[in-house]
Amino acid sequence: MQPVQLALREPRGESRHDSRPGATLRTAIKRRAAPFRRAVLGTGLAWFALASSPAFAAGAANPDATPSDTPEADLNIQAQPAGQWTGVWTRSTLLGDMGGVRSWLGKYGVTLQATEVSEYLDNVRGGLKTGGTYDGLTTVAIGLDTQKAFGWEGGTFNVSALQIHGRNLSQYNLGTLNTASGIEAQDTTRLWELWYQQSFLNKRVDVKIGQQSIDQEFMVSSYAATFVNTMFGWPGLPSYDMPSGGPAYPLSALGVRVRGQITPSLTALAGVFDGNPLGNNPNNISGTNFNLHNGALYIGELQYAINQPSDGQMVGVPQSGLPGTYKIGVWYNNERFDDLSTDNTGLSLANPQSTGTAQSHHGNYSFYAVADQMIWRPDPDEPRSIGVFARVMGAPGDRNLVSVSANAGIVMKAPFAGRDNDSVGIGLAYIKVGSHAHDLDVANAALSGGPYGIRTSETAVEATYQYQVTPWWVMQGDLQYTFNAGAGQNPSDATQPLRNTFVVGVRTTITF
Amino acid sequence: MNLNARTRGTYMKHLIRTIASAAVLASGLAGSIAHAAPIGFLETLHKNTTLINTVPSNGDQNPYALVVAPVSAGTVKQGDVLVGNFNNAANLQGTGSTIVNYHPDTKEMSVFATVPRDLKECPGGIGLSTAMTMLKSGWVIVGSTPSNDGTTNTKGAGCLIVLDSQGKVASTIASPDINDPWGNMAVVDNGDHATLFVSNAGFGVGGADGNPPVFKQATILRLDLDIPQGKPPVVKQETVIASGFGAQADKGVFLVGPTGLALSADQKLLYASDAIGNRVTEIDDPTTRDSSAGVGRQLTADGFLHRPLAMVTAPNGHLLVTNALNGQVVEIDPATGKQLYARWIDTDKAQSPPGNGDLFGIAMTPEGDGFYYVQDDVNTLVLAK
Repeated sequence: MQPVQLALREPRGESRHDSRPGATLRTAIKRRAAPFRRAVLGTGLAWFALASSPAFAAGAANPDATPSDTPEADLNIQAQPAGQWTGVWTRSTLLGDMGGVRSWLGKYGVTLQATEVSEYLDNVRGGLKTGGTYDGLTTVAIGLDTQKAFGWEGGTFNVSALQIHGRNLSQYNLGTLNTASGIEAQDTTRLWELWYQQSFLNKRVDVKIGQQSIDQEFMVSSYAATFVNTMFGWPGLPSYDMPSGGPAYPLSALGVRVRGQITPSLTALAGVFDGNPLGNNPNNISGTNFNLHNGALYIGELQYAINQPSDGQMVGVPQSGLPGTYKIGVWYNNERFDDLSTDNTGLSLANPQSTGTAQSHHGNYSFYAVADQMIWRPDPDEPRSIGVFARVMGAPGDRNLVSVSANAGIVMKAPFAGRDNDSVGIGLAYIKVGSHAHDLDVANAALSGGPYGIRTSETAVEATYQYQVTPWWVMQGDLQYTFNAGAGQNPSDATQPLRNTFVVGVRTTITF
Repeated sequence: MNLNARTRGTYMKHLIRTIASAAVLASGLAGSIAHAAPIGFLETLHKNTTLINTVPSNGDQNPYALVVAPVSAGTVKQGDVLVGNFNNAANLQGTGSTIVNYHPDTKEMSVFATVPRDLKECPGGIGLSTAMTMLKSGWVIVGSTPSNDGTTNTKGAGCLIVLDSQGKVASTIASPDINDPWGNMAVVDNGDHATLFVSNAGFGVGGADGNPPVFKQATILRLDLDIPQGKPPVVKQETVIASGFGAQADKGVFLVGPTGLALSADQKLLYASDAIGNRVTEIDDPTTRDSSAGVGRQLTADGFLHRPLAMVTAPNGHLLVTNALNGQVVEIDPATGKQLYARWIDTDKAQSPPGNGDLFGIAMTPEGDGFYYVQDDVNTLVLAK
């Protein structure tokens, strides 16, 4: 900035802005705080003294004074060449045009997105041991709009890759079932998603085919996404009950998904995917399994939106209803699943007489429901609002480690004036251990006669604040307390319980 | 027992009658809605069709200005849609320098003009705003509300740039009365002379940090142009016909100020969307007055309006105004000031409310059976008809 420009801008603002003295005072105080501008301000105040009286006088005589009464400093501002870092604090991505790479790709309909999530989570009590770990995730996604690329309407191609680094707090320090961070996974660089989507009927129907991570579309609670704990993203039940945790971060599976808008407020999703993303080769951590050998996962979801507009909808009276989304779903996996307490002769697996081979069940399934509802918005034109969410699901307890998992919570957007893109929330994640896993613990306890951890349920409570530093940088402070950690059993020593854990952490997310 | 039965029978008959009459009433209502002559323009539209992604090869983003070519000239065909970009490839506001041309006949897009970013004659350089028009003589005039860093901290006063029909800069119009020509223009085009109305939202507006104050210094300027044969238009006279509108720097959307302008059919009134005041005002005798009318008379406020932006006149004489704070376009009968209704034309749930911050420019199709608009968050040109 050029000093002369400041000197001219100050008096203009202060002298002409007669209707809001408070604002003028604030401006003056704020600017005075910057020491290097003092000399400039001195000049500015002199200008102010000179300029203010005629301006006020003119203002009194003619409320519609034309701007030519005082020359505008803006007239003297010259264009500066924009460099790679011009406007870096206000733009939406850290790297902007990447020195021309993004606009060059854009010519061919290609978009490039990259984010880095880094976090340090510290277990300050209980669990396997106290102490902190760093964890990080780099995600790169490339999209291709076929309309822009070669004139084919409604097509989108997407490929993404993950670079997972750092150390997982839950695995080494906590031992909890509600794992502390949604990015925790085995360190690797891997292909994530690889799919093509085609829309039809003016976008009312679309079909996605290829390698997909279904946590991106199914069972999603938008408010729950505020939280760090894994179970607010891909929930506890499918994480533990689907083979390999299901086709969800950091995995994906081959399949087809159809989405259709049945009515403006009702949308249906249905998909069929390979039943076990790692089934053909669990040692492949590059994301190139492309498995089609282990049975199928069928999943369907109905989404009902309230107080949410549809494209082209006419509105006869101004609306004030608060938006909400309600979802119900079901999935079925047609593989075979081992019983968690009974062997193939009907004996407890804890029984010394047991064959050691679990009874086999045909198939596995779960029902679920998700609700996101805004409950308070003082002004529809302002971002401040409060929303609540709840998600609950159940599966048979004989073949599943988790028979019930649930989330609930409350999130406030724009909690403070001038912090439009911040969020603060408190949420709860609950996991109930299946009846047969529980029974096995009971049997083991009876058999050993000594102490034995009998698993029941585990509940984690999380409080978090997301602070947007710049549009491309979010800092997130986080507290998590887990009750009945490990659901009552230490994962590294089943005879021992696990003390409740308390995690303090900070996460930073950068969009490149 | 008998009495009871009769009473019950009467009750049932009454109930049936009530239901029947309710049904008749309901079907009557439905019928009248379905068959009655439309009360406005928006209900006659059928669907919104995304036409193109408007990002040209230099990566410019954030389409704002929209103009449908009234004539064929140079590289432009009558009916082509010119779209101005406000942001550069790094998505910095006030730095866009391109105008793309969508050809409805071929459904292709080409670049009509790339204005030099550092055009010296334009104070602060180039950031193409919503102020744009194409004259019958083939000249395209577009406003610049420039910034060096994407915020109003470094904004310049800007100018109006005159482009020939090949998209080359022919001249610039800068003056103390022009400061960030911002909203869509209203135009009276008589061939060899024309009158432009343009809102200026930059006066007094400083940086966007903290809680920037509202400066009530925005104006509407009338520019009377002479257009000599084969030569670029020259300004014969500049007149501030309205002033005192609020304008405010904004971290998210750069600037909030008076935006949309539209003339009544008899040109006796100029309508202006006052974004800060959340209203539409009307100014008397815009083509002839020689003094400022202040902010004019309030035509309508609030209701469906949520920070009104660009404005056009539909064939029925009603005003169509896009909202900044949701994805709706609002129809207003200027004769009565009544807001008829609104229509959702952007329901992107990535924003709250849906479509918040997505809409800006709007332009009627030549046939008058629909309008073009932009969804600037996804850089697309859309047709509602």
